[in-house]
Amino acid sequence: MNWDLIIFYYLAIVMIFSSVFAIFSRHPVYTVLLVLVMIIHQAFLLLTLGAEFLTVVQIIVYAGAILVLFLFVVYLINLRKETKKSVFIRTVSLIGIVFLLLGGLLIKNLLILLSLKPSFKAYLPFTIEEKSNVWWIANYLFKNYLLQFEIIGVVLLVAILGAVFLIRKVKIVEQK
Amino acid sequence: MGDLIDKLIFLGIAAGSLLVIALLHVAYLTYAERKIIGRMQQRLGPNRVGPRGLLQPIADMVKLLTKEDLVPYGVDKPVFYIAPFISLVCAGTGVALIPIWKKFVLSNINVGILFILALSSLSAYGVILSGWASNSRYALLGGLRASAQVISYEIAMSLALLSVVLMAGSLNLMDIVKAQINSPYKIYLIPQIIAFYVFIISAIAECNRVPFDLPEAETELVAGYFVEYSAMRFAIFYLAEYFGMVVMSALAVTCFLGGWIGPFEIPYIPFFWFLIKLYIILFIYIWVRATLPRYRYDQLMGLGWKVLIPVAIINLFLTAVLKLIF
Repeated sequence: MNWDLIIFYYLAIVMIFSSVFAIFSRHPVYTVLLVLVMIIHQAFLLLTLGAEFLTVVQIIVYAGAILVLFLFVVYLINLRKETKKSVFIRTVSLIGIVFLLLGGLLIKNLLILLSLKPSFKAYLPFTIEEKSNVWWIANYLFKNYLLQFEIIGVVLLVAILGAVFLIRKVKIVEQK
Repeated sequence: MGDLIDKLIFLGIAAGSLLVIALLHVAYLTYAERKIIGRMQQRLGPNRVGPRGLLQPIADMVKLLTKEDLVPYGVDKPVFYIAPFISLVCAGTGVALIPIWKKFVLSNINVGILFILALSSLSAYGVILSGWASNSRYALLGGLRASAQVISYEIAMSLALLSVVLMAGSLNLMDIVKAQINSPYKIYLIPQIIAFYVFIISAIAECNRVPFDLPEAETELVAGYFVEYSAMRFAIFYLAEYFGMVVMSALAVTCFLGGWIGPFEIPYIPFFWFLIKLYIILFIYIWVRATLPRYRYDQLMGLGWKVLIPVAIINLFLTAVLKLIF
């Protein structure tokens, strides 16, 4: 038995189940925690491909920053009553239709995947071992995609400025 | 197959011995803290259990292990149970990445410094979840404060470490130490003194220590996020805090003080200088605790966002410019 395969299937199964349970969980904090489990497993999936830098960035950015903010918001809203409500029967039919559509897509994709020859080696255009992972990413990012990188930076700056503008203290000056 | 098992056995032994040594350090750090603070406040400190009170940490451990494990009414049980372990694992794993000697580092990965930062950002979960799951006002407030504090000071800490990374040209902790030894000053403390200050201050805040111990301020919040925990679960939070101190001090030694390098070689103890530097940084932690009063919450946030982060950014910029020139 191949160790890589065992690790891959473990990560894949945990990722699928934690995402499904995250959708079905009625408890917002549990949902955030299940998404956390999913993200950490996804990070380790990247590690099996030899992308250690992406692994760590995934954990720092998604688990360490974004999900903590989600948890922060969920934390401040008391939803203990909401979680005890019974299932909304009317929405079940709608959910059923969505699931049928999604399930159809999933089966179609699975059929396509099965018809292909399985190869679990990632396609690497160069040997990663020569230089470190970080070097390759920096090389691609700052040589080929510099303009896009800068544009994203400016967009994020605008978003930050917008947030600061929204939370500023408003001094109401009474007009006489 | 045989190779793999041999490798696993070797790794297991190395990891086990490292863990035991780290745990002993953590246990005697609590003793050293009580003793030093006692001296600074003109008391004796623990002196009843064993000669000079040396067995005090072991007595404490036995006491905490044999106490009743209380779970209050109305807590969210799974999260309540799992939260201390998240804290402990995230704080303790960092020890594996620290290069103690040029031939001993348990896991020499290329992004070691980022991995420690990732672990410290994950350790916020233990605090937030324990605060939420306890179903108590004090714990909730403590958890809120802790999450805001950890997120804020993490930025300053990462920026301070980034200037070290920029000087060394690597994210690998081993390579950072080697780059320091090859640099003209032998240690990065001299060219990166500003980054060192920023790092030490934010490391104290990251570990929730005095003067930034607002998440667990006894006088306002009883004990903060772990107020509802008792016996061993409480001890695990305690362990996590001290483990965090040890890892942060070891990171400071690795990134700023030159790791295992010393003025002269000590025969048979290659990690002598590493330990000496580690103890000096830990002493600074305790010294600060005995000397300074607690900050107010707005002062804490102001210091983090308005002083440390701009200083760290300017330092990073200067480092980059100087590196371009020379």
